[in-house]
Amino acid sequence: MKKILLTLLLTSVLFASLKVDTTYATLGAVAKKIGGDAIEVTVLASPQYDPHFITPKPSLIAKLRRADLLIINGGGLEIGWLPPLLRNANNPKIRNGAKGFLDISHAIAMIEVPTSVSRAYGDVHAQGNPHYFTDPYNILLIAKAIEQKLIELDPKKEQFYSKNFEQFEKEWQAYLKSFDAKMTVCTTKKVIEYHELYDYFLKRYSIKSYGNIEPLPGIAPSSKHTVALINTIKENGIKKILQDVYHEQKTAKFIAAKTGVKVVVIPHDVGAVEESDTLEKFYDTIAKRICH
Amino acid sequence: MKKILALSLFASAILMAESEIDAIKAELQAQKETTQKLEEKLDALSRQQESTSVNRSASFSQNAYLPDIAFILNMSAVGRDVANGDYENFAIPGFIDASGATMPFNKERGFNLNYAEVALHSVVDPYFEAVVYFHLQPNEFEIGEAYVQTTSLPYYLRVKAGKFKSSFGRINSKHHHSWYFDAQPIIYKALFGPDGISDPGVQLQWIAPTDAYLMFGAEALQGTNARSFGDNESNNLYVGYVKSSLDVTDELSILGGISYAHGKNTTTNATDVYGLDLTLRQELGSYSFLLWQSEYLHREKELATRSDTQAGLYSELIYQYDKNYAAGFRYDAITKNEADLTSYNGVDTSGLDKYSVMVEYKPFPMSRLRFSYSYDRTKVINDERRNINEVMLSLNIAAGAHSAHDY
Repeated sequence: MKKILLTLLLTSVLFASLKVDTTYATLGAVAKKIGGDAIEVTVLASPQYDPHFITPKPSLIAKLRRADLLIINGGGLEIGWLPPLLRNANNPKIRNGAKGFLDISHAIAMIEVPTSVSRAYGDVHAQGNPHYFTDPYNILLIAKAIEQKLIELDPKKEQFYSKNFEQFEKEWQAYLKSFDAKMTVCTTKKVIEYHELYDYFLKRYSIKSYGNIEPLPGIAPSSKHTVALINTIKENGIKKILQDVYHEQKTAKFIAAKTGVKVVVIPHDVGAVEESDTLEKFYDTIAKRICH
Repeated sequence: MKKILALSLFASAILMAESEIDAIKAELQAQKETTQKLEEKLDALSRQQESTSVNRSASFSQNAYLPDIAFILNMSAVGRDVANGDYENFAIPGFIDASGATMPFNKERGFNLNYAEVALHSVVDPYFEAVVYFHLQPNEFEIGEAYVQTTSLPYYLRVKAGKFKSSFGRINSKHHHSWYFDAQPIIYKALFGPDGISDPGVQLQWIAPTDAYLMFGAEALQGTNARSFGDNESNNLYVGYVKSSLDVTDELSILGGISYAHGKNTTTNATDVYGLDLTLRQELGSYSFLLWQSEYLHREKELATRSDTQAGLYSELIYQYDKNYAAGFRYDAITKNEADLTSYNGVDTSGLDKYSVMVEYKPFPMSRLRFSYSYDRTKVINDERRNINEVMLSLNIAAGAHSAHDY
């Protein structure tokens, strides 16, 4: 009897999977690649919503309460919704600074770091542009950071995590090669964005953004700014507006009607649009919609 | 013969062109790789340079440890069909006697500077964080809240100690600037006055390991609030609550709570307050939602010779249209008023209620302009029931390192 209990206890310890919460879906998708069956991934924010403004629902507190590891995007993207949830979850394992707290932005070379910060320039992030998911090269950096953290938390499964990482790295290198080849024939070189959501992708593949529909980050479009954009589009022969899933589309459609520019909805996170529910499909969809 | 020659020439030309494209592609790829290698080298070198660079920070600088500092300004322009001198002396029958009300906000017809609040938040060490709100009014300095709370207790517990707003009910712990209406719900004002339950004391909260949100909390407070408590011989107030929330769909969430407060009033007899709250929130997009929030409070206050039983509620419906615009409606009512009303002989004290509507405009999340109209039927002025019409334009600014609000 004692033996049975002991084995039960042991197995439950041995097979207990690590509970991993990620703030966004892309981080969740990478974590699954590295953690496999050894972890249980919960994504907090729906990719349908603006990643800056997630409703801090109490159900998210319940999720954070049970987590062993919290993986965040960082760079100020979660500042408007995560801190009160984290405070209320009373979970010392994942508090800022604890072993179970991982800020991925610390592993990324952030671009567009402002030299001066003021809210007079709108909702500017002091740490740089936090929307680094759109560059497929960053996936390997995210994967590496997650692998290291999982090994730190769960050293008994080091080999398992390392093997998964190496396997994923190989697959992803191959994917990047074919993806880059596809992008070399991409003829779209000039675009307009709604918000600076895709700058990492645009920089990687030398596509130039000529402006945003928002006059300043986080500020709703104004007619004056829209008129100026219409002129920019006409003068520079811009063919595409990169629209996201969560902002209003009226302004983009208005500009399109005036200039003949095409409005394409680009996912900013895995699962934001149809046919973007895996990492590969996410980037394929971005490429397809920007280039064709 | 000529035809074949022409055809083969054509074919070879195509082949040649194709192999040329391949060659260029290969060359391009090689160049890309070279560039990448160079970039990597450059990165590594610059990192090395960074790591070997000398320390240039000022010798005893502590700038990196400064707390987050925010300040909140709240002001208004008010129009009311009652003269200021009369309004000051209002009574809410059974709850607030004539001229017994404290009115820190929006009291004057014309312009009001309600407050400038300084909010400080800082992590103290790996175990505590501290929060302080200095509430500054034109002629008054008040410590609105000042407390420390734990960040690393085991068993999913958290302790808060200091002066703080109790988590009794729904709106009590929220700051004035985060409410959807500038006026406090009548039942809160009637039972607790403008600050609600806010006292020195300690709080303990625990989160259950369930899929749905389930939180239990208990507080021991000084009980200085003379409207319901106020026995000043010793600490007298104990508060307990259970709150739970679940997501009905991805877009619809429900939060409900049951609260209980037990204290001793100024006559050293017991006061019990029971609270029920319910909030439903339907997301309509990233910047749009529909919110319905209601609370019901019931008080039993024992006095030397009798016992008062009173209750009231408020219910508000808020529609956030987009990032910039929102509108809302609130209904307030006193539903039970078994108290000593002999001083209101000849005055109709039934049907005490209030209707409010508001429209707000936020140019940016940090600033808010709000226009509201209310029809208040809860007041007695100069021994007459006096229904008050009020219009208000309020401006609220939250500047600096202002932390995010709860649900």
